[in-house]
Amino acid sequence: MSAVTATGLTAEAREPAAPPQSLGDLLRPYGWSFATVVILQVIGSVAGLAPLLAVVELGRTLLSPGPADAGRVWTVVLAGAAGLFVRLLFTVASSGIGHLLDARVELSLRRHLAARLGRVPIGWFSRRRTGELAKVVGPDVSAVHPLIAHFPGEFVSAFVVPLVSLIYLFTVDWRLTLITMIPVLLAVALVPLMMTPSRRREQEALDEGMGRISNAAVEFVQGISVIKAFGGGERAHRSFRTATDDFADTMLRWVRGLSGIAAGMQLALSPPFVLLVVLAGGTVLITDGSLAAADLLPFLLLGLGLTAPVAALGHGFDDLQAARRAVGRIREVLGVRSLPEPRRPAAPQGHRVELRGVRFGYEPGHEVLRGIDLVLEPGTVTAIVGPSGSGKSTLVQLLPRFFDPDHGSVVLGGVDLREVGDQELYRTVSFVFQDVRLLRASVADNIALAVPRAGREEVIRVARLVNLHDRILELPRGYETVIGEDVKLSGGEAQRISIARALLAATPVLVLDEATAFADPQTEQAVRAALATLAGDRTVLVIAHRLETIADADTVVVLEDGAIVEQGDPAELLAQDGRFAALWRSHRSAITDETRGGLPQGDELR
Amino acid sequence: MIRMLLRVLGHEYAPPMRRTVALMTATAVAEGLSYALLVPVLRALFGGGPADAWPWLAGFGGAVAVYALLRYLSDLSGFRVGTTLLRGVYHRFGDHLARLPLGWFTARRVGEVSVLASEGVLQAMGVAAHLLAPFISACVTPLTIVVVMLAFNWQMGLAALVAVPVVAAIQIWTGRSTAATDAERSERGDEATGRVIEYLQAQPVLRAGGRSGEHFRLLDDALSGLQRAARRSLRSALPGAVGLTLTVQAMFTALLALGAYLALGGNIGAPEVLAILVLAARCADPLLSLSDIGGKVRSARFDLARLDAVVRTEPLPQAREPIQPVRHDLEFEAVTFRQTGHTLIDDLSLSVPEGRRLAVVGPSGAGKSTLLQLLARFYDVDAGVVRVGGVDVRAIDTEVLMARIAIVFQDVYLFDGTIEENVRLGRPGAGEAEVRAAAAAARLDEVIERLPGGWAAKVGEGGALLSGGERQRVSIARALLKDAPIVLLDEVTSALDPVNEAAVHEGIDRLMAGRTVVMVAHRLRTVQRADHIVFLDGGRIAEEGSHDELLRRSGRYAGFWNLSLAPAAGEGH
Repeated sequence: MSAVTATGLTAEAREPAAPPQSLGDLLRPYGWSFATVVILQVIGSVAGLAPLLAVVELGRTLLSPGPADAGRVWTVVLAGAAGLFVRLLFTVASSGIGHLLDARVELSLRRHLAARLGRVPIGWFSRRRTGELAKVVGPDVSAVHPLIAHFPGEFVSAFVVPLVSLIYLFTVDWRLTLITMIPVLLAVALVPLMMTPSRRREQEALDEGMGRISNAAVEFVQGISVIKAFGGGERAHRSFRTATDDFADTMLRWVRGLSGIAAGMQLALSPPFVLLVVLAGGTVLITDGSLAAADLLPFLLLGLGLTAPVAALGHGFDDLQAARRAVGRIREVLGVRSLPEPRRPAAPQGHRVELRGVRFGYEPGHEVLRGIDLVLEPGTVTAIVGPSGSGKSTLVQLLPRFFDPDHGSVVLGGVDLREVGDQELYRTVSFVFQDVRLLRASVADNIALAVPRAGREEVIRVARLVNLHDRILELPRGYETVIGEDVKLSGGEAQRISIARALLAATPVLVLDEATAFADPQTEQAVRAALATLAGDRTVLVIAHRLETIADADTVVVLEDGAIVEQGDPAELLAQDGRFAALWRSHRSAITDETRGGLPQGDELR
Repeated sequence: MIRMLLRVLGHEYAPPMRRTVALMTATAVAEGLSYALLVPVLRALFGGGPADAWPWLAGFGGAVAVYALLRYLSDLSGFRVGTTLLRGVYHRFGDHLARLPLGWFTARRVGEVSVLASEGVLQAMGVAAHLLAPFISACVTPLTIVVVMLAFNWQMGLAALVAVPVVAAIQIWTGRSTAATDAERSERGDEATGRVIEYLQAQPVLRAGGRSGEHFRLLDDALSGLQRAARRSLRSALPGAVGLTLTVQAMFTALLALGAYLALGGNIGAPEVLAILVLAARCADPLLSLSDIGGKVRSARFDLARLDAVVRTEPLPQAREPIQPVRHDLEFEAVTFRQTGHTLIDDLSLSVPEGRRLAVVGPSGAGKSTLLQLLARFYDVDAGVVRVGGVDVRAIDTEVLMARIAIVFQDVYLFDGTIEENVRLGRPGAGEAEVRAAAAAARLDEVIERLPGGWAAKVGEGGALLSGGERQRVSIARALLKDAPIVLLDEVTSALDPVNEAAVHEGIDRLMAGRTVVMVAHRLRTVQRADHIVFLDGGRIAEEGSHDELLRRSGRYAGFWNLSLAPAAGEGH
């Protein structure tokens, strides 16, 4: 019994992001720290009233008829000074703890977001844009700052202190207290005008606009070579321009609607206006003899503090609203369901891969794969051919489980991929992508991506295999050269790094997508040799573009419009004179055109 | 600060900005001066003649009205200027980015630009809209009040005056001591943003490598680095905040004690002391808020400095009197080009007569793509000259140069929009028929037929929703539409599948007809279409000549050629 609980706990500890977590769950461990911040801040702020009360008492003593009581005067002064000291101590401590707490919470939020994004289905990304998601992890988490670092302490004290003051002032004179509240009420009356539905819509539009700018900026930098090639300042970076102009327009509308009201509110809360109201009321009451002159002092000193909550609302309100919206976006990402992890991962027996009646579409109603049945035997190379858009890339992406099929199943060693644990899957399947993504990290780290513990000799071995070793040694810092910082690699070099990755991972199942497309003949040669030595007992699936690859494959699969139209030994298929033969001939003639007959002899396959 | 703001904006914004600052300063002085009238009012109220207060109170009311008007105007002016500036800064920033040399855009810049464009600009503009007024008011109003206090009682005024240099010194010192940590913090922020973007875009690779989530050390390091930097910047800001609060509170305590002492000694009337203490409270509040506002101003100033740094990065120099090339022959004369200490092109000379085709061949990393980029002046050479039509590219207006060149890149980047928008980028003014013709020539028409939205199909960020071959075809259609006299091809057919490769070659043939062409080719089969071939290695020409000449020479080109013809020979099948 206890053993079960214990393992359950450790599993949970190891995978903190497995179930979607609410923000509250993430903040719960910091509850006591938050409480400390609030308590310290409240004590500090209330103590801050002491010097003002000291002036009030000083006034009472000095204005009272007869000679002033010197002892009492000095006691009052001391009490005021002590209050100031307490305020300094406690508010500094509160703000310091608050900010440190904020840094910790931000880190933890970002880690959770990263973990979550590392587990959502790859398909989810194609509907999202990098800029927007990066904004959630970066600026959105930062936008929570006021909620964590300022809200608990400053916001609570912005309400507690005026409340204490208000109670005190009521005990002095209730009529003047009501008069003192006139500016506050005026300002509060303006608040609904600031929160009309159209204002709120504009706020949301501003947030969206910011997201669009962020996307446009990413696109701007990454597409800069295209922008340059097609020149023309105005139109070339149009999307950035449009995004920023839209944002500026919305901003202008928002400010236009708001600025008058905001300025009016600021005015109502401004110290001269509050003092004017208090003095006018006080003068009336003192002249008709119903208020002692000394009793005016507390209103002059504490009355201004009554505006704090409204000022805090107005001032911090934008920030808080922004924080609330940011929290909404963070919560959305944290709530995305990841591909379900098996409860009891099954171990695949061998590495035969089967696709059974696989159907898949990125969007409902538009199937990309329409019923694929395919067996990939260990020790064989299967080449997929077919026109662009026939579903080749999608098909091979099912093997590393970037997506789960809508119908049917992908089976590895007799086990449905959905029943295979992540780690087991990564140990079994490696992938060379058409779009090579290099990380801004050292060459060695890039090669050893899937095998972080690989020794330098192993990294060098695979670098030699892909003909990259000599080139790497020429780089400024050899294997420690940081890609994207110290050096920019050419397309062919990037491609070879990605192949080296796969060679180092040496998984029993290897999926290649147009792997050698960019490589120059020398590299291509080396790569092909390397893959050939690697093949052995491996299951290899390759999206083939070269006749040579196709000719060397054990099985060729012709894909058209998401379905397999022909399948078999390349030589036999050629003899059948079907789709594959037509493909082969059209490619052959394209090349013969170019080379004016310079190709190796004959039409027959080796 | 304001100077930097104006530099970022361009000086046409100087007058409205100056007007706003003047208005805000006047408002703050008016506020301080209006408090002077509190003293006679309180003297009358506390002194036993409350009815005498009315005229003074009316005067105070008048002063408040003046203040209110000024304040309203300056608030509105601040908002207006802030929003106008927003658009101005965005335009300037975007235009300038487009003019920066390609070399500036390293991987790290993605994070920096995206942060600057979103948070940075907004923060910097917030200066005008939200921070300037409180900041000026927090500085100027207390100063005015001190002057008023001096006028009523020199001892208490003097005591308050002592605090002024201390507060100023603390502000300056805090500004200096936090500058370094703020810089570090924002650098860490950029680093983290860049890593997040990398992490998101590299998800497929990272997952296949089992490195997603908490396993991705680079991202986690960047995130914890950010947290550490935040702590450090907090630590460096703390002494300033404590110092300021301490000074202001000490001043208030001193005034309280001094007032009590003077009143007890009978040197000054109790009403005056109390009035001055009320003034002191008015003086202390804004000063205490100074550390908060100061911090915000500093971080905005920091964002501004970064914008400033980008705007001040020199774009490639533009010719004063640009020359229009009349011909379209191309020439490299003794060109050397280095990047990050690595010589990419080494004393290279070659020429392409108008209407001829040059093929560039060589191992990857030989500098082939760089050669094309130098022709299009993505960079300036370190030595030698690149000429188009006999004119140094540096002497040609960038727009004119770009109008003459069509480029098809190796790594095709499409903008997130429709296929049509991406094709039209080639020549935005092109007619419907021309766009369709270009698409047909690049065999893009069949892709469009197949896609759910047709011409209006979205391509996704960077073109991610299309396959490599489809992207390549969009980019060829774009170049065809542009119809420029010079064509640069960077391994165009590499990502196409066999069937369509032949079809695209037709399009390429149409694109090349009658034009000056430089093509980089990894696949030697495309090379034979060239009039002249250059074999590049290590940034130098190793061999050159026609295809047949080079084959006869049995040198490196011939070796490459033979390898490409017998690709499977070494596999031991």
